[in-house]
Parts: sequence; structure tokens; C-alpha cells
Amino acid sequence: MHLKYESTIREALVDGNKSYHQVTEDICKTIESKPTKLWAIGFWTSVSLLLFGIFCVCWEVYWGTGVWGLNRTIGWGYDITNFVWWIGIGHAGTLISAILLLFRQGWRTGVNRAAEAMTIFAVMCAGQFPIWHMGRVWNGFFVLPYGNTRGPLWPNFVSPLLWDVFAISTYFTVSLLFWYSGLVPDFATLRDRAKTKFRKMAYGFASFGWAGSAKHWQRHEMLSLVLAGLSTPLVLSVHTIVSYDFATSIIPGWHTTIFPPYFVAGAVFSGFAMVQTLLVLTRKVLNLQEYITIGHIEAMNKVIVLTGSIVGVAYLTELFIAFYSGVLWEAEAFRLRVLGPYWWAYWAMMTCNVVSPQLFWFKKLRRNVWFTFFMSIIVNIGMWFERFVIMMTLHRDYLPSSWSYYVPTWPEVGFFLGTFGLFFTCYFLFAKYCPVIAIAEIKFILKTSGQNFKDKMNTIEEKTDEHFMAEQLSHH
Amino acid sequence: MSIKKFAVAAYDDEAVLFPAVKKIRSSGYKIHDVYTPFAVHGLDEALGEKESDLHIAGFIYGITGTSTALGFMSWIFTTDWPQNFGGKPHFPLPAFIPITFELTVLFSAVGMVLTFCYLCQIMPGVKKHIFHPRQTDDKFVLVIEVNDSNAAETEAFLKATGAEETNIQIAESDWWYGRFDKKEDYEIQQQLA
Amino acid sequence: MAAFAEAMKNGQVGAVLFYDCNPVYDSIHGKLIGDKLASVKVSVSFNERMDETTQKCKVLAPSHHWLESWGDAEPQSGYISLMQPTISPLFKTRSWEESLMKWSGSTTSHYDHVKNYWIAKLGGEAAFDAAIQKGVLETETMPMSGASFSGNVAEAQAKVAAMKASADGQVDLVLYEKVGIGRGGAWSNNPWLQEMPDPVTKCTWDNYVLMSPNRAKKMGAEHTDLNEVDANKKVFKIKANGTELLLPILVLPGMHDDVVAVAVGYGRDKGVGKAAAGTGINVYPFVSKFENGNANYYASNIEISNTGKTYELAITQTHHSYQNDRLIIQEFTFDEFKKDPNELYNERKAALSHFTHSYDHAEGGHGEHAPAAAHGGEHAAPAAAHAGTKTEEDWQQAYRENGTLYPNFESLGMKWGMSIDLSSCVGCGSCTIACQAENNVSVVGKKQILMVHDMHWIRIDRYFANNPTKPDSIQTLFQPMICQHCDNAPCENVCPVNATNHSSEGINQMAYNRCIGTRYCANNCPYKVRRFNWRDWNEADCFDDNVYEDGRRDDINNDITRMVLNPDVTVRSRGVMEKCSFCVQRLQGAKATAKKQGRTMKDGEAKVACQQACPTDAIVFGNVNDRESAIYKLRYEEQKERVFHVLEEIHTLPNVNYLSKIRNANVLQSANPEKVQHGAHTEHA
Repeated sequence: MHLKYESTIREALVDGNKSYHQVTEDICKTIESKPTKLWAIGFWTSVSLLLFGIFCVCWEVYWGTGVWGLNRTIGWGYDITNFVWWIGIGHAGTLISAILLLFRQGWRTGVNRAAEAMTIFAVMCAGQFPIWHMGRVWNGFFVLPYGNTRGPLWPNFVSPLLWDVFAISTYFTVSLLFWYSGLVPDFATLRDRAKTKFRKMAYGFASFGWAGSAKHWQRHEMLSLVLAGLSTPLVLSVHTIVSYDFATSIIPGWHTTIFPPYFVAGAVFSGFAMVQTLLVLTRKVLNLQEYITIGHIEAMNKVIVLTGSIVGVAYLTELFIAFYSGVLWEAEAFRLRVLGPYWWAYWAMMTCNVVSPQLFWFKKLRRNVWFTFFMSIIVNIGMWFERFVIMMTLHRDYLPSSWSYYVPTWPEVGFFLGTFGLFFTCYFLFAKYCPVIAIAEIKFILKTSGQNFKDKMNTIEEKTDEHFMAEQLSHH
Repeated sequence: MSIKKFAVAAYDDEAVLFPAVKKIRSSGYKIHDVYTPFAVHGLDEALGEKESDLHIAGFIYGITGTSTALGFMSWIFTTDWPQNFGGKPHFPLPAFIPITFELTVLFSAVGMVLTFCYLCQIMPGVKKHIFHPRQTDDKFVLVIEVNDSNAAETEAFLKATGAEETNIQIAESDWWYGRFDKKEDYEIQQQLA
Repeated sequence: MAAFAEAMKNGQVGAVLFYDCNPVYDSIHGKLIGDKLASVKVSVSFNERMDETTQKCKVLAPSHHWLESWGDAEPQSGYISLMQPTISPLFKTRSWEESLMKWSGSTTSHYDHVKNYWIAKLGGEAAFDAAIQKGVLETETMPMSGASFSGNVAEAQAKVAAMKASADGQVDLVLYEKVGIGRGGAWSNNPWLQEMPDPVTKCTWDNYVLMSPNRAKKMGAEHTDLNEVDANKKVFKIKANGTELLLPILVLPGMHDDVVAVAVGYGRDKGVGKAAAGTGINVYPFVSKFENGNANYYASNIEISNTGKTYELAITQTHHSYQNDRLIIQEFTFDEFKKDPNELYNERKAALSHFTHSYDHAEGGHGEHAPAAAHGGEHAAPAAAHAGTKTEEDWQQAYRENGTLYPNFESLGMKWGMSIDLSSCVGCGSCTIACQAENNVSVVGKKQILMVHDMHWIRIDRYFANNPTKPDSIQTLFQPMICQHCDNAPCENVCPVNATNHSSEGINQMAYNRCIGTRYCANNCPYKVRRFNWRDWNEADCFDDNVYEDGRRDDINNDITRMVLNPDVTVRSRGVMEKCSFCVQRLQGAKATAKKQGRTMKDGEAKVACQQACPTDAIVFGNVNDRESAIYKLRYEEQKERVFHVLEEIHTLPNVNYLSKIRNANVLQSANPEKVQHGAHTEHA
């Protein structure tokens, strides 16, 4: 008798002949073996990028924000572009964990752990930018509402930047809690398999003493469900709040109500692309193709084409409204985007974001791993240009006397590269010492979606209805 | 600190586990606990566990967050130090929404996770007795507290329900602060015994 | 000077004393004098600086600065001006008069000499003290006498006519003095003036060849909408008067296609000072002589070629053309204005009519917002004594209240306001420097201006209207732009830490010590008037020696340099945003003075720096709530037809208004294209 039934028409989510033990073995294998040469190369490259980034940030803090290419007209350039880019990337992880949980999509289990880790690392990278872009970063604590003897003087709750402070910290905290609460049982698995003293102690701490009691699992399920329910509006609200940095201003090209949905769709779009980049590589290197199947890749590509289309429609809507509204400032802002000094960024954005994801309408391309990898890079480049184009709307706004131009300097580029270093350092550490796939959750869906179990269902599917009913009643 | 005696049964498959649980309960045994490597649907009902109230706690924390945020910001902007920011009203409710929402979610999430850890008695540094090394891998482990008189009988009964392995263990039933790389005194004693 | 140079040439000069002149640098005989000075037995320089002439002198006896000196002047008999020092001499100097007196054997000090002379002339010490206090004595009646002119106009006319005009394609060179640098580089060591954007070119810290767009394009240095932001300007070689110099060019619409111009006063010796050293190229060698020995600051048919090299010019405003569809400046020809003075007023009313109809249609003319006696709360209309009459304030008040979702904060006590008259403004830049002096605005240097990190709180936007390829058609517009102190300030909303908010008197305040430098406020300002301290200009932060990467210091913190700072104004640290504050220190000072005297502040007691310095009185400032004040009368009575606000339609409610420019021309180039075609008498679009 099987406890749950899923049609054999649905593609298997776990290929191969897997038992629970096999699942554990497959996923824990990487963690329990010595670091490979490939891992070492990747890890140390990331660490050096990170160190270079730290140097660039120290340079900027010591000499001043003036070492960047920003000026009196363009106060934000690479800093906030990269901030929004990284935060956008982070949203995919939460969407996969939370929203797909609420939608009962079993395929999330193959990708959610890595995607959520990606979210946390992306948010860490994103958070660097608002911190170090401040002119007086040592006074950055002024944004916190703490009691003081200067009034007390409170921050300005009407400012979108302050909403960002709360939104990003909440997002980071909740994502971290959600990710970690899922990791606790998996750390317990690793702890109980650990051979060395150090690992037993370390995974022992990390697992919080989890034993797997049924009552605890019940609470764990409920916790996951409620956290998912909380994270879903959080995903939508955080990037909405980030979009308010622009939408609540009065700069033409920024002051538009289309930004919240446009940003959220764009965030999911770029996030899934980054997930694809990471997972295509991870599954190949760690031999996890049976857990992160072509079906998973295809499902994520479908999300990419959907959100890419939303983003494309948003771009076209903006252009149309700029013309149709008859508002001079709006029309000018878009004329300059398309034909002005930054036309190259605009066209890069349009090509990468509007044209290229449409290729995913073709099933063959959706299920092609290397094409997916290539496209995911293109999409992320396109989304970076989107944020850059938005930022550069500053260069020509109301008064022509202030029109200017922005070119990044080496500390800014170095800072950006450094965040890649931070991201990949964390990801390499994660891939080496934590299970990249949610072990417990895979086991949860194994008996319904595993390849071998689906094959067994064929015999049941071939029975007639009456025969099946009789069989079921007799078992009770 | 309460060292007790337990009869432990390890099952291979949840299809065997469920009828076993039913049989054990209807025979009058009190199940100490069932340990599984993943959340098994329906097990808590089969064990007669009540539904958890964690979500109610989450809701209460959330409401605390909402009221804290709204109250605090309103107090600051209307009473403590009202200021003129670009002609905006002193009680700009739309502007308060983002922070209110975020604090609701934050309080709810953090509160729930802490409550979860408290209820399940888990924390970094907490150690519990692991009855079977593969209870977090692929075995479903059912544990019944026994005393010296009924130990053997219980073990035999468990074997009869379809358990792959059974044994008797003397273990700490509660949690304690410990490290998983160290063996506890009672474990060492048990080994020597 | 020619005779002196001749004498020098012939070795006939035994001794020479120089005061307040620098012929080695700026005279056409400069080279000769410079070469021969070594052989003059006694050469003395009383000049303050180690300038080009002083370097060649044997004796250096620097005189006091004029602010450290006693002295007198009588430019016209009966007009007496007395000088007294305002500060003890800062350095080891001695007034040149005293030096001469000492060397002539006198034991009297210069001060005593001046004092005794005037006591005798004015009749007593009391009279002298009174004269010193007043400073200037004028006679009651101005002695006017007839004037006669004995020049031979016909002869001059003939001579001019006889001069050969340049043929087409030949290029003529004009040497001019920049308004900020002066003759002979008088102020070339003044960093404020070096950094002041030139009124017409908006370029700082260098001199350059001015060239028309057509010529530039012809010679391979085209200026386009896309490359205007590139600071690398082409370097051209100019050969004139036997001298060859390399200079960067700057494309300036309005230049004649066959004329180029370069400013004198640059390329100073490094002994002159840090600001002057190495800045620009000395083009005095281009000055030639007329037959009669006068200096000729022109050169015809010069050789000019594009070397292909580039040189960076630090320009603060890179976009020059006035975008006709952006109605930032309101301009009318005199004929238009005479025909319908209310054209602008009616246009503004029509544009905002959607929000003001309640006022227009209400009975009695003041609608639901009839001024109540109550003064409390946010929603009171200004205490209006105009019951029953619709005044200019009413429909503007309606726009103020109805054009937004938000409540209206009124300033019930004082409300500061400023008016800038675009007809009077000549773009000279005095306001920029006055503000810099008053408010401790930092000088940042050429390298930072190249990165567009300029700090000026008030800038003068200069636009060229019409086709750059038709020099004669170009019209120039100036618009001084300062913080508009908007009542609905976009900047105030977005500061996360509450560093900028609105005072009860209508000023947009900036709390420097709260600012953490996120720069959102500057991004959100539509007027782009906020300035950020990108680097540690004032060496005021907690990091050592972080102004220049090579470790140099500007010594802004040493005792002498610090004296340039106004002690009433905070010096801003790195990472802090700043902007025009309506000279709040002066306002507070004026209010405090009045308070101490137990009276209300009178109009004109609080004068802001730019207003004080403006030579054409284009800036009027005061309390708008005071119906007797100049600003109120200007806005609502005298010049109400010319009043407009920049970007009024986005409802920032600026407290600065502009007065439309009335141009004495037939056609306005800044009008919409259709208007330009149809002549001056069609409506503004």
C-alpha cells in the first residue's frame, strides 16, 4: 500500500533506483570526502577576489567616496546598481522555498537548499553596498531607532532608504532562519554519520541536538509552512521596497508606479537565472544529476520565460506611456535612454532581457543544459544593465545645466568583483560542508516521485477502477 | 537527569511502521517516541499527538510586531518630535506600511523559531540520546520505556510487529548540554557492561 | 613703460623700484626688462608675491597688504578716501611708503605721517577721527566742468578703414582678460577665482582657445551632444607674434567662425603661489606692438592647427544648449511684454487652473479658504487682510493646497523668500564667490572639478539658445540656481536619518553632523543644488592625510589658512551633504540683534551674502510674510507680472522666485521652434 499517489505522467523528480539510504549517501558523499582540486581552485580564486574587494573598500573608506566616479549630478552608480542586482538575485531562493512550498510543487526539493543558500549569500553581498556607499559609514548606526540624548533624535520613517534598512535586515534574518531550520535535520544526518571527532562536535553543534522525534517533525512542518507563508509576502514586499527607492522620488524615469511589479518580476527573473548558473555547475561537478534533473532545469526555465516576458512587457509599457502620457519629462527621459549617451546600455538590456528569454518557448532549448547555462549568464548581464540604465537616468534630468556622465573607477569595479568573491567563497564553503540538496525533503517525496517508485505505479495504473477499489477497501 | 531503560525497534519502511504503531497502541503500550529521518505524513496523528499551536504563537508575535511598529512610529512622528519633512503629514500611514509589515514578519519569524527551539528543546550545545545511528538516515525508530520486568516481553512484541532490529538500551531520556564527539558517562558504563 | 624699456635697453637705468606692477610678466617689453634687470645696480620690489618681476629684483621689500595698510587717495580733488588697516600685519612686511621714508632718512612712521597730514588738512584730531571712521569724504557740490575733445576722429577713421580686413578663412586672435583673473593675472593665485566657473565658458582652472562650433568641426574637433561630457579637449598650436604655443580649445557657440580668443593672466611662475603655479599657459607673448608703441592685444591671420593631442579642461557645466521645450527660463521680448505684460501671469494661472478653479469660481473671490482669524495648526491660510478682494496670493494658495494630497504647512511667523531678476543678472559670478567666502565652501582643485565634484552652493547656469552653427543668432541666458528651499522639498522626504527638514520659517535645513552621506537627497533634487563633500577637503575627518593620494597636505588647518574661514559657519567633514542655507547664520544674527534690542527685525537687516555682493541688485531677499518688505512688494505688487518659479508644475513650492527676462531683441531664440519661425508675436506654446 502506498501512502500517497502521484500520476506516472508527471516526470520523476528523483531518477535512478534510490532508497533512503542511497539518497543520504549521494548527497553526503561530497561533504565527507576530501576537497577536490577543482574545489580548491574555485575556492581560493574566490578568496583572492574577496580580498581584493576588501582592499578596494578600505581604499574608498580611507580616501572618501570621491575615489568613485560619482558626482554632483549622479550620486548613485555602481553602488546601488549592484545592490539592487544582488538583492534581485536573492529573491529566487525565497520564491523556490516559500512560494513553491505553498503551491505544493514537489520539484522545489531538488533545488531549494542551494537556492536558499544563494539567497543568503546574495543578500550578504547586496548589503555591503548600502553600507559602504555612505559618505560617513562610521555613523551608519544613525539609521537605527535607538534612544539617545539628542532629543531623542529618531530616523526619518518616511524615507525609502530607511524602509530598505528594515526590509533587507528582515529579509536576511527570515531567510537565514528558514534556511537554517531546514538544515537542522540534515546536519543531524551528517552528525550521526561523522567519523572524525571534530566533525562530530561541529555538526553536533550545528544540528542543535536534533533527534528526529515525530512531534518535533510536526512542529517543524508547521514552522516551515508558516515561515513560507511569511516569506512569500516578504519576497514581494522587499523588492517592492527596493523599487520605492526610485519610485517615490521625483526624477522622471524613476517616478513611476510600474516599478514595484516590474522589479519583483525582474528579481525573480535574474534570481532564477543565477540559480540555473549555480545548479548547472553544481549538478555536474558533484554528480547530482539524478536529483537536479532536466525536469528541474526545465521548470526553472519556464519561470524564466514567464518573468522575462513580464519584464519585457514592462519595458514596452514604459516606452508607450512615456509617449502616450504627453508628459514632457517622461518622454525626454526615455528618448535619452534610447538615443542618449547611454544608448548602448539600454540596447544591451533590451537584447538580453526581452529577446533572449523568449528562446525558452522551445522545449528543446529549455531542456538543454548548456544552453541554459549560457542563457542564465546572458539574463544576469541583461538584468545588471537594466539596473544600470535605471541608475543612469540621473545623468540627464530636469535642468540641462546639470547634465553629466558617469564612468566607474577601479575601486568601484573592484568592490563589485569583491562581492563575487564573497558570494562564491560562501558558496564553495556551503557546497563543501553543507548538503546542497535538502536530504530530508527529498526523502519526503521519494516514494511518490522517485523513478523506481513511479515505475511500480504502472501496474496500479493498469488496473481497472473496480479492481483497484476492491483492493483498497480490503486493506482497511 | 533521568536514566531509564528503553526497548528500541528499528523499521525499514513507513508502510511497516504505521500498522506497527496501530498495533502497539491498541495493545496498551505507551510509546515514548518515534524517530524518523524525515517528516512522515500522518505519523503524528497515528501517535495521537495534538496539533501544534506554534502558528498561534506566530500570529501573536506578528501582531506584537505590527503594533510595536505602528505605535512607535506614530508616537515619534506625532508626539515626541513632529517635524516638517517636505510638507508630509505627521501621520503618514502609507509611509508607515513598509516598516510595519517588515516588523510583523520579523517578530513573527524570530519569535516562532525561538519558540520552536524552546518547545523541541534544541539549541547549539544541546545533546540528546540517539537511539539508532541511522535514525536520521533511513530507519524509523520506535522507542518504548520499559522496566526490568517487562523488557524482554516488550522487545519480543516489537519484533513481532515487523521491526528489522530490536534491542534494549539504558539511556538518558531528557536533553543535556554536551558534545557529540564525547561519550557520556552512562554510555561508557553501558559499553563496559 | 616704453621709455623705461628703452632706457633699460641702453643700460641707462641705475635703480628701479617696482610697486604693484609686474612688467616682466604682462608688459610687451617684459622680456627685455626681465633680461636687463640683472644688470641694473639697484632693483627693488615692493610686491607682495614672488612674481615674475620680483624674482629678478635684488632687493625684496614686500609691502603690507592693503587691508594691513594706512593710506589715502584723492582721485578727484575734493574726493578723499582714507585707508586704515583691519588687521595687524600677518607677515614680516613693511608698507612701501614707510620703506621709502626710512631709506630717505626719516624717523617718522608712515602712520604718523598720514595722521599728521590729515589732522593738519582737516583741522584737528577730532576731524581726523571722524574722517577715518567715515572713510570717504565728499564735497557737498560735485565740481563739474565742461569737457573738451580734441581727438582727430577723421584721421582715426581713415586709419582704421585703411587697415586690411582679414580674408575669408584667415583666423584672427583676440586676447582678453577673464573677469575672474583680471589684468596681468591679478588674481591668478586666488583659488576661489580660479575655481569660479567663467561666466560664459563655465570652465575653471585653465585658459584655452575659444573657437566657434563650425571652425572646430572644420578642424577636426567637433563638439557634439554625446562628446560634450568628455573633458579631453583637442590641443591646438597657435603661432602669432613670432611665438608658438600649444593650448586646448573650448568650443563656444557665438564665436565668429574666423576668430579665436585666449585669456591672459595664466601660466604664472610657481613662486606666485600654489593656485597660480602651472595653471594655464602664458599668452602675453602673443601681444604685439602698434606702430605708436601701444600694446596690441589682437593678431590677424595667425597660424592655427590641430595637433591631435588632448588636454583635460575642468568645466562645471557641459551641456550648453537651452532645450526650448523645457520652460525653465521665462523670457519675453520688450515688444511682447509691452503688448501684454500679463502674458506670463495668465499662462501660469492657466497651467495650474486645474487646482485653482475653486478660487476662481467662488463667491466674493476667496472661496472656502476665506482667511480665518485662527493661526493655529497646519491648515491656516496666511493671515490675510485682503477680505473681499482676490489677490495674487489666492490662486497660488489654491495651487499650494489643492495640488497635493498632503496637508499644508504654513509659516505663520517669518517666511524667508528670495527673488532673482533674470533681466538684471549679468552672470558675473560675484554671488558664487560671496557665498563661498561667507559659508566656508571648499575649493576642490582642478582634478576634482574634472570628476564633477564642484562645491559651489550658488551656480549660474548659462544657456545658449538657437543654432550653434549660426554665431550671430546665439542668445545667452543666465540663471543663478540655488537651493530653492522648497516647501514640498523632495530632498527632505528621502533622507533616512532625518538630516534635512523644513524650518518653521520656510528654510530647508541641513544638519551636517547627522548626515551619513547616502546622497539620496541630491539625487532627488530636481534643481541639482546639493553638493557633497566627496573627499576630506578640510582635513576634518578622523583619517590622517587623506586629501591627496601622494600624501600632500593643503594645510587648511594651519593658523594662517584657517583665517579664511567664517567662524559663524560649520566646516563640513567628508561625506556630508551641503547646500545653500539662506545664510542662516546671518538671519539668526539679525534676529538676535533685534531681539536684544527688544524690537522686531526690520526688512533689510538680514542680508544674504549673494544678495549683498550682486552688483546689479538682481537678488532681493527678505521676509515674505512682512507686507512692507521689499520681497513681498516685488512678488505681489511691483513685479507680479514677471514672477515665475522654476519647475513650478511639479509642486515643489519653492521659496525662490525668478523674474522673467525681458530681452531687447526682435526674436527670442529660446522660444519654441514654431514661435521662432513666426516671429515674436505668436503665443508661447
